[in-house]
Amino acid sequence: MLTNFFCFQANLSHPPPVYTSEMSQSEQKIIRKAAKGDRAAFRQLVLEHSHAMFRLAWRLSGDESAAEDIVQEAFIKAWRKLSAFRMDSSFKSWLHRITVNTAMDYLRKHVRRKQFETPEPEWESTDHAADLPDTGKQIDISRQTQAAMMDLSEAERTAMLLKHYEGHSIEEVARIMEITTGACKQNIFRAVKKMRIALRPLVAT
Amino acid sequence: MRHITDEDLTLLYYGEHDDSSLAVMVAESEELSARYDALCDELKLADAYQPPRRGDDYGAEVWQQISSKLAQDDSKPSDRLKNWLGSLLQPRLSLAGALSIALVAVLAFTLGRNGSQNPGSGPAAPATATQIALADIDSGRLLTHSVSAHLEQVNLVLTQFVNTSATSEKETEYATDMLVANRLYRQAAESQGNHKLAAFLADLEPLLIELAYQAQSGSTATRERMQQEVKDGLLFRVRVMNKQLNKTDISV
Repeated sequence: MLTNFFCFQANLSHPPPVYTSEMSQSEQKIIRKAAKGDRAAFRQLVLEHSHAMFRLAWRLSGDESAAEDIVQEAFIKAWRKLSAFRMDSSFKSWLHRITVNTAMDYLRKHVRRKQFETPEPEWESTDHAADLPDTGKQIDISRQTQAAMMDLSEAERTAMLLKHYEGHSIEEVARIMEITTGACKQNIFRAVKKMRIALRPLVAT
Repeated sequence: MRHITDEDLTLLYYGEHDDSSLAVMVAESEELSARYDALCDELKLADAYQPPRRGDDYGAEVWQQISSKLAQDDSKPSDRLKNWLGSLLQPRLSLAGALSIALVAVLAFTLGRNGSQNPGSGPAAPATATQIALADIDSGRLLTHSVSAHLEQVNLVLTQFVNTSATSEKETEYATDMLVANRLYRQAAESQGNHKLAAFLADLEPLLIELAYQAQSGSTATRERMQQEVKDGLLFRVRVMNKQLNKTDISV
């Protein structure tokens, strides 16, 4: 009984990062310099946050080249808006908000579900995946998860991935999505419900 | 014992449930444990949704790609000025502004009503300067004027919406602001017994909800359908209602 209790925290080898609004003094200094137009300082921010932004953009779009475009576009927007950034909020959350908005704009302009035309989604093995019996099954699960994610509405998918994969608190997710915490919870609940229905058949196999 | 929903278990899974005793309840109940285990098993599979790896120099690649664009940006200082001027010309209504107007209207009405009710129900508390000032305000007129300003903003946003082909960040932002303000005004109108105005604002709400949320996620077809709806009558109704409000102190 209760074999999975607190399984998320206990079993996930790479738990999602938990973001807080606290920034180190040095990061604040870099951001301030970048906000004044210091490109070398902004380069440092790009180097530091590119991977995280790519992960987010890829999960939102489900497409590798789209994610690369989104990351670049989001950084350009960040550069333009940096002077409006408030130091008392989390820079990562701020970047995530820009990435989410950029991804939404991008997806509206481009044909959706392009990724399903490609035969094999790229698979990255994780420690977690090592528990699974074989690679064929892993790819199957990856595909089905991806398909289930892309079947969610944009709001549900965004809320789900900011909560489940990026580890933001519900309050943070709501702030990033610019919705109420109540609406945010509802999006997460709906997303979890749909994901569970889609993934349930794979549990027993 | 209260019923534990799947939503409760989801919040527990993410460590966000307010009730700290829930974990104990789940641990002690076979049925709840089974449900929680199922949730964990199913969500564990979602972790398979992993992005392709980027190389260690991915950040440098991104910088290389964007640095030339940033340089172009820098060489066009007029763009920043243009954006700034553009933002000045955009329909302007901040959420804070809308809320404060709506709150003053609601507060004025509430204080006015409370002031006129129950004169002998108990010792009156000394009135504050704000209360005295607000009591002098005709809450009905205040609401009418505030809604009129609100409808002007709605008119601008809707006009912009029907004339643009793609949803912008700003558009969604404005629609969200309008939605919040609209709800407050509707509630104020209902409290004042101005049912016609309340009904009109209630009619506006579904569209504002769609604009704030659906327009973001909807397809081009959805946007076109919404634009048609706005063109077919809603925009006209907003203008007519605003004219009526502006005409007088008419009670709509």
